[in-house]
Amino acid sequence: MIRERNRWLTAWAVLTYAFLFAPIVILIVFSFNVSRRNFVWLGFTLDWYPRLFANTELLDALFVTLRVAAIAIVGATILGSLLGLGLARLRFRGSGAAETLILLPMITPEIIMGISLLIFFGQLFRQNGSIGQIGIAHVTFCISYVAIVVRARALSLDPRLEEAARDLGASAWGAFGHVTLPLIAPAVAAGAMLTFALSFDDLIVTSFNSGPGSSTLPIYIYSSIRFGVSPQINAISTIIVAVVAVALMIAWRLGAFRGEGRRPLAEEA
Amino acid sequence: MSNEHDGSKLDLERFLVRYLAEERLTRRQLLHRISVVGATAALAPIIAACGTSGASASPAASSVPTVAPSASAAPTATPEPTPQPTPEAELFVYNWTTYIGETTEKDFEAKYGIKVTYDFFDTADTQMAKVRSDGRGGGYDVTYPASTEIPGLVRDGAIQPLDLSLIPNARNLGQEWANPGYDPNNANSMPYMWWTTGFAWDPDKIKEDLTDWTVLWDARFKGHMAMLDDVREAFAVAAFRLQLSPNTTNEVDLDAMLQLLEEQKPLLRTYTANDIQDLTSGQVWLTHAWSGDWGQMLTDKPKTKYVVPESGAVRGSDTMVVLSGAPHPVAANLWIDFNLDAKVSAANSNTTYYMGPNAGALPLIDPAISGDPRINPDKAVLDKLVELLELGTDLDKYTQRWNALKA
Amino acid sequence: MTAAPAARIHRRPVRDRLTALFFVVPGVAWLALFFLVPLVIVFIVSFGTKDPTGHVSLATPGFQNYLRAGRPEYLTAFLNSLRYAGITTVLSIVIGYPIAYWISRYGGRRKVLLLILVMLPFWTSYLIRTYAWMIILRDNGVVNGVLQAIGVISEPIPFLNTDFSVVLGMTYGFLPFAILPLYVSIDRMDQDLVQAARDLYASGRQAFLHVTLPITMPGIVAAALLTFIPAIGDYVTPDLLGGAQTTTIAKVVQVVFQSGRDWPYGAALGFVLMVLTLGGTFLALRALRRETLGAR
Repeated sequence: MIRERNRWLTAWAVLTYAFLFAPIVILIVFSFNVSRRNFVWLGFTLDWYPRLFANTELLDALFVTLRVAAIAIVGATILGSLLGLGLARLRFRGSGAAETLILLPMITPEIIMGISLLIFFGQLFRQNGSIGQIGIAHVTFCISYVAIVVRARALSLDPRLEEAARDLGASAWGAFGHVTLPLIAPAVAAGAMLTFALSFDDLIVTSFNSGPGSSTLPIYIYSSIRFGVSPQINAISTIIVAVVAVALMIAWRLGAFRGEGRRPLAEEA
Repeated sequence: MSNEHDGSKLDLERFLVRYLAEERLTRRQLLHRISVVGATAALAPIIAACGTSGASASPAASSVPTVAPSASAAPTATPEPTPQPTPEAELFVYNWTTYIGETTEKDFEAKYGIKVTYDFFDTADTQMAKVRSDGRGGGYDVTYPASTEIPGLVRDGAIQPLDLSLIPNARNLGQEWANPGYDPNNANSMPYMWWTTGFAWDPDKIKEDLTDWTVLWDARFKGHMAMLDDVREAFAVAAFRLQLSPNTTNEVDLDAMLQLLEEQKPLLRTYTANDIQDLTSGQVWLTHAWSGDWGQMLTDKPKTKYVVPESGAVRGSDTMVVLSGAPHPVAANLWIDFNLDAKVSAANSNTTYYMGPNAGALPLIDPAISGDPRINPDKAVLDKLVELLELGTDLDKYTQRWNALKA
Repeated sequence: MTAAPAARIHRRPVRDRLTALFFVVPGVAWLALFFLVPLVIVFIVSFGTKDPTGHVSLATPGFQNYLRAGRPEYLTAFLNSLRYAGITTVLSIVIGYPIAYWISRYGGRRKVLLLILVMLPFWTSYLIRTYAWMIILRDNGVVNGVLQAIGVISEPIPFLNTDFSVVLGMTYGFLPFAILPLYVSIDRMDQDLVQAARDLYASGRQAFLHVTLPITMPGIVAAALLTFIPAIGDYVTPDLLGGAQTTTIAKVVQVVFQSGRDWPYGAALGFVLMVLTLGGTFLALRALRRETLGAR
């Protein structure tokens, strides 16, 4: 019976991956489309790839997006993880309010968050938008996601583990660093990945906080929405996917994923 | 030393191990150091960005703008015949995509040595929100608002008067553009492109020749039609069918228009901002469309037809303005002048499929565009077209009904 | 399995308070400054009016915008949003749980790699992914093309511009938001517990229902939160993949703000939406609180 479940589960997993990657396959295929508008397939060409490297606006937008994402990841992961841990482990007055506070950014319609920061930075600080401003905005709405994921993981941790470490002579920080941190590391990493996905694709909040020269890739792409998104965008996305895939393979070869191999169920039979 | 085994990946691992051993680090410590460096690198932009006070935002990869000393003098024309003020080194333009000639930007940079930073917006609403965010242009120099926005922008001080001494090409303007009602004497804006709004269809799917708005209510095409997702344009179509003005604010009239649109809704596939895509991909056979959009459809589906119904249609135009908070006002005026040059204006038209206001450009525009009465109707038809006017708070009467319609 | 804080060694309250502050204050301070303060500003704006020049005027503050927000036509839009978000959340969890489980149990050394593979599609542009779905689903798209080629149908099936395409697009977009927290929670679970249940003659199904599912409930709750709440605010997917008949409340808010340029009214509408969402979330969380956070 275990083997049967194994097969169904694996089949489901394969189907899910197929579902996840189906549009990506189309995306890659259409990066070779002759038609500049990229609505219908009109023929094959490799032209878009070299042309994309000459498109300074597109490349600038990409670099802006990556820089913003870097800021967002660093800020949101640190602040969000601390927050999530604190809420999971500690009981203090006001923790209920803090938990509500985490939910608020997620509930707030993006347009309101975007406009609120526009007014905040525009009227109070006379800022017209910049990479830093976008970065701050992204950290703000990503903290919640990280906090929730880390909290969920921390909740299922046994606090006695840390106390055991303390009993064995570790300092409070030592126990934290050597016991708790590694145990929540997967959640922190998951939070970082979520943050990247959120930041990379964000449009509304970003468009309200961007200024001259700080357009991100989504802003660039959405502005062409009416006229058809050029296959150059497909090309750049394909390149990004390829680069990440290659980086993953290299990292894997270097042993980065020698993780905690848990005993799989199948081996127990 | 390392034996040269197969593949560099082995050497990488070996190198890493040796490095860690020599430095007396564990992998975790190395990771820690990397993350500290990475964090500092990532935070640096925030600190740098917060460091710049007020003025313009720090551009992504371009150099810091150097403002020439003479530009800090008043940008408006001085009465005595002084030599042209020195233009600044940079220019921030805010426009629609694909709304300019392919080489216009580069040609301008080559001619004046001014670096152009070109940002796009997706809708006029985004544009207005950004430009009005600080009341002075949001950090941009030049933008392209619809002509209907000009009175409001002038009133609110969001745009500054043009320095006409820097725009000699204004003499190229066709007669009907030289002194428009929305901006007397072109004091604050220069016309850029104008268009009509009609409908387009795929003759392979709809064999007959269509002529009037009533076809958008034809049950034979149910599920294969689209209307523009634009409240004023959609209501305008209903207005023309009822022989009302698309600028009316009469509640009774508006209710009648809403009624008509509600009858239409079940027949539509969608309200779209992507009419070009929907038609060329075959999702719809017939769609409400702007004339320039039809031009774009032709590149993928050359047989597409377009018509401006005689019962009435909307005409609109976009303009170029200099924002009141422009960091580079001289360069901004030069840009406007550049785009009014006959050759440049023609190049713009040839790329965008819209007509410009430039009489001098006319002979240089691709005759397929200028000769086509659907993109460039003759005067008799032009006179019957209606411009959509700014409604102020009365716009609510439209948006309220629009929301009800789409709910 | 609920943590038992009562078993903690008694610590000095001062250090506990300090620790709590260290962990929580940075995040809270950031949110307070960059989220709450701007939000309060917009809240104040919601009591103003749009004067004839289009500016926000606080000359006559009042609740007029909130009264306008209670219009019946918004109810349909709001219900649409709820419907889409609800179905999307359920589907995301239903699809996401098995794959999270599979990665955790059978991933072995490749676990993290498999997880990153899940995220990989989302490091491309959202818009192009949605366009790709349009290419797949439209009348002369991939699916219809294949079905017609093998003779199953003669006329294209209208997949696009329907509720189906909207839910499909939204589920696709939120799937990783569900998979990640689910994985994190499932992976933490101690397999010995399941083994113990099996040793006690529980069937596979019973072991799942009575051991695995409750233990991973925090992950399910997190996944639900991370999917449902943002899904209510998603207006781009229904806009691109939906038809004339599907308007969401998020789109209404956006139209009021942008096309209507009425910031005070839009702000009021937005806050009403927030209150409704928050209230609904609280109720749902309270119902699940017993099983997830334990008797704290």
